[in-house]
Amino acid sequence: MNRRRTTWEWPVIIVVGAFFIIPMLAMTRFAMQRVPMSLLGRETIFSRWTIRGLMNTISDDKFQPAFFMSVRLGIVTVLLVLALLLPTVLWLHLRAMRWKILAEIVSLLAYVVPPIALVVGVSGAYRDTVPWIVSSNYGLVPLYAILCFPFAYRTLDVGFAALDLHTLVNASRSLGASWQQTFRKVLIPNLRTAILTTSFLAFAVVIGEFAISSLLLKRTLPTYMLEAQGREPQGAMGVALLLLVLTTVLFMALGRIQKKSPTSSSQEIRITP
Amino acid sequence: MSQLEFAHVTKKYGDFEALSAFTLSVQKGELISIVGPSGCGKTTALRIAAGFEKFDAGRLIVNGNNIELVPPQKRNMGMVFQSYSLFPHLTVAENIGFGLTIRKTEKKKRASVVSDMLDLVRLVDVGHRYPHQLSGGQQQRVALARALAIEPTVLLLDEPLNALDAKVRIEVREEIRSLQKRIGTTTLFVTHDQEEALTISDRVCVMSNGVIQQVGTPREVYDNPSTAFVATFIGETNSMVIGGKEVLVRPEHTRVVNDAEPDSYRGIVQSFSFAGPLQTVVVRMSVDGSLVRATMTNTGGVNWTIGQEIGVVFDCLVPLK
Amino acid sequence: MGGPVGSRASTTSGRWSPSLVLPLLPYFTFVGLFLLVPTVVLFTKAFRPVTGSTTSAMVEAMNASNRSSFMFSLKISFFSAILGAIVGFLFALAVSRIERPRRLRNIVTGFSGVAANLGGIPLAFAFIASLGAQGLFTRVLYHNGIDLYGAGFKIYDFWGIVVVYLYFQIPLMLLVMLPAIDGLRPTWREAAINIGASSSQYWRRVGLPILTPSLLGGTLLLFANAFSAYATAYALSSGGSRLVPVQIRFYLQGNTITGKGNLGYALAAWMVVILLFVMTGYLLLRRRAERWRAA
Repeated sequence: MNRRRTTWEWPVIIVVGAFFIIPMLAMTRFAMQRVPMSLLGRETIFSRWTIRGLMNTISDDKFQPAFFMSVRLGIVTVLLVLALLLPTVLWLHLRAMRWKILAEIVSLLAYVVPPIALVVGVSGAYRDTVPWIVSSNYGLVPLYAILCFPFAYRTLDVGFAALDLHTLVNASRSLGASWQQTFRKVLIPNLRTAILTTSFLAFAVVIGEFAISSLLLKRTLPTYMLEAQGREPQGAMGVALLLLVLTTVLFMALGRIQKKSPTSSSQEIRITP
Repeated sequence: MSQLEFAHVTKKYGDFEALSAFTLSVQKGELISIVGPSGCGKTTALRIAAGFEKFDAGRLIVNGNNIELVPPQKRNMGMVFQSYSLFPHLTVAENIGFGLTIRKTEKKKRASVVSDMLDLVRLVDVGHRYPHQLSGGQQQRVALARALAIEPTVLLLDEPLNALDAKVRIEVREEIRSLQKRIGTTTLFVTHDQEEALTISDRVCVMSNGVIQQVGTPREVYDNPSTAFVATFIGETNSMVIGGKEVLVRPEHTRVVNDAEPDSYRGIVQSFSFAGPLQTVVVRMSVDGSLVRATMTNTGGVNWTIGQEIGVVFDCLVPLK
Repeated sequence: MGGPVGSRASTTSGRWSPSLVLPLLPYFTFVGLFLLVPTVVLFTKAFRPVTGSTTSAMVEAMNASNRSSFMFSLKISFFSAILGAIVGFLFALAVSRIERPRRLRNIVTGFSGVAANLGGIPLAFAFIASLGAQGLFTRVLYHNGIDLYGAGFKIYDFWGIVVVYLYFQIPLMLLVMLPAIDGLRPTWREAAINIGASSSQYWRRVGLPILTPSLLGGTLLLFANAFSAYATAYALSSGGSRLVPVQIRFYLQGNTITGKGNLGYALAAWMVVILLFVMTGYLLLRRRAERWRAA
């Protein structure tokens, strides 16, 4: 029973892996090769590779505002999510255990109300009273935050549960630390993995979010990509590919941080709701 | 009559020998403990018996048959693990009856065996509950019932009391012993706690670094340790160098006296603790500077003070072989 | 497993005491404002009648002619959920058993996190590039004698969308199942084997039953995911898809012209109703799975 015999595992991994890699390869070829599909054959497979399409798009005057808008929205959303959830989950674990189940149900509501329904409702409810919500770009932030709650709440919940919270807090306070100091010097460092996971994931969700921003007629990276597809298809494809690759690298880095964390048990912190 | 026999079993992990020519003959109906510190090879021996580990040399014999090639499923040796071995999705009754379900035992017979087992471990009204609703001690009793339900040839216990609280530990170990005596199942009990081994076993096998140090009854192993390791691991031992030779003596055979008696050695009291029926004095011996512990019954009235010069008398000194 | 023993404050001063509830207000108020209020408003509008009729839009949305897009969405969600769940589970099982190379698991998990969460636009692009009319894979198949588009395949039709959705369904299932598979304690397997079970009996009576809450919960999650998906379908079909989320947009954008705005609201409201059932099932199953894992 020591060494495991692996028989079917690698074939499955390879087949499923192919399913995921082939589209990425197709994207790369489309974005970077200036050979029309009808002429593509064994002889032409290595000719005319260029990143000109991608560079055109990046220097396009509509790309940068959309890109930076998405980045800004991502950062603000991450901050809002952490600002709302960290104190709440802390309090739930520290004193208000009985409210946990309600808070958990509430965090999952974003999965019950799909983006389109959310936009319709928000628009109907606040369009006349608080027009900022639908007119300003930053009006997207609260909606994005709600979208992140399912996995953000769960990740932080699991992170707090892994600590011996009461012991840590009591030890810190008995040594003379204020609540603020305890939070900053004792709790946050031990929650580093959970916080990073939440942040990376929220950022990825925001930077790829299409439904809400498109319905509210905002210019973010995904809405830009769709619109650019008509004008400069190779560039748009290149940007999409770049986004996929960068986010994958980001998540792999996250995975390594999770493994090295002293507080995480042998399980990776799940990044699902 | 030998029921389970290890004949020169050796198990290696690379260059490291977890078991060296392990030879032990377990008699039918006896409870024998394998005791030793972490890493001594006791769990390895148990897992080899169960069939979860293969071995590199030697033979493993049950009732005269070599079972080396018999897969673990077919060995009919019920095992109780340290913790978390009950199936969480099944009730207590279903857990206990699991072995019988696999063997396709008829429903009525299965129910009757399960009910007998529940009686045996004194958990009569608990059959319908789930493992997460039970305490640690209760869970281990269910695990025991599950292993016994299949009427195992040998019962294997892998440090079953490790995860339990101190008080529960004593209750469950006594229950294991009384059950074992009642049913007469041949039992192999692995533990690192020498007190556990001494209290419940018919025989004790002391191990260190993959090698058997001594096998004998609890009294033999305690009163006549054959190596320094056994002497220090089982019970407490004082060791000194007298006349160039290393000697060992138990604290209960060490007495502190005020006056210089013949055959007494001089020393200075380091500490003294009074615990009711027993009192303990730690003395620094003048003869070689070592610290010696004397445990004496409370004979009334005598208090020793730190720094006091006294004499120490040994009732039996055992020179180290 | 409870949590730290620390609810003394809440038990002595009562569950509803202000000092206990106050710090929770920001969170609940936020969700109330940005989720509950909009949902209530949505339902209010959904119960109004469609212009030119007296029946409530909620009822009208379910009549024979309007129901078809709902059925379409439900079918796609169902199929992509079941397929994604099966493949995702097998994939997770395979990855959990591979010990070398050690990086594999990190790569797979990282990529799955992206694929499951990044959103539909890059995904749609990827599939247009591979399975579109001018797609690379389409071309490869054509060279090998399989004419996809000639046979009537369209990437924005039923099977096209199911295949595309699998791209985020499989990774999501992997992310759900990996921790569940890790949670299968080795002692359970050894105990089962020791007591006489073969490997397949172990799986049938212990392994799979213990994994079942996670399997079912994961499938429900995949269903909800597919059902609410908007971006991919929109991008693939240039806004003309039969799927409900895209249909809702169609009704609402042209609502002054068609007068069918309320129908859009009603469809959205029905989506919420369905998802409410699905997510309740998911939550209950997840809690069951945790209880067994902690035991």
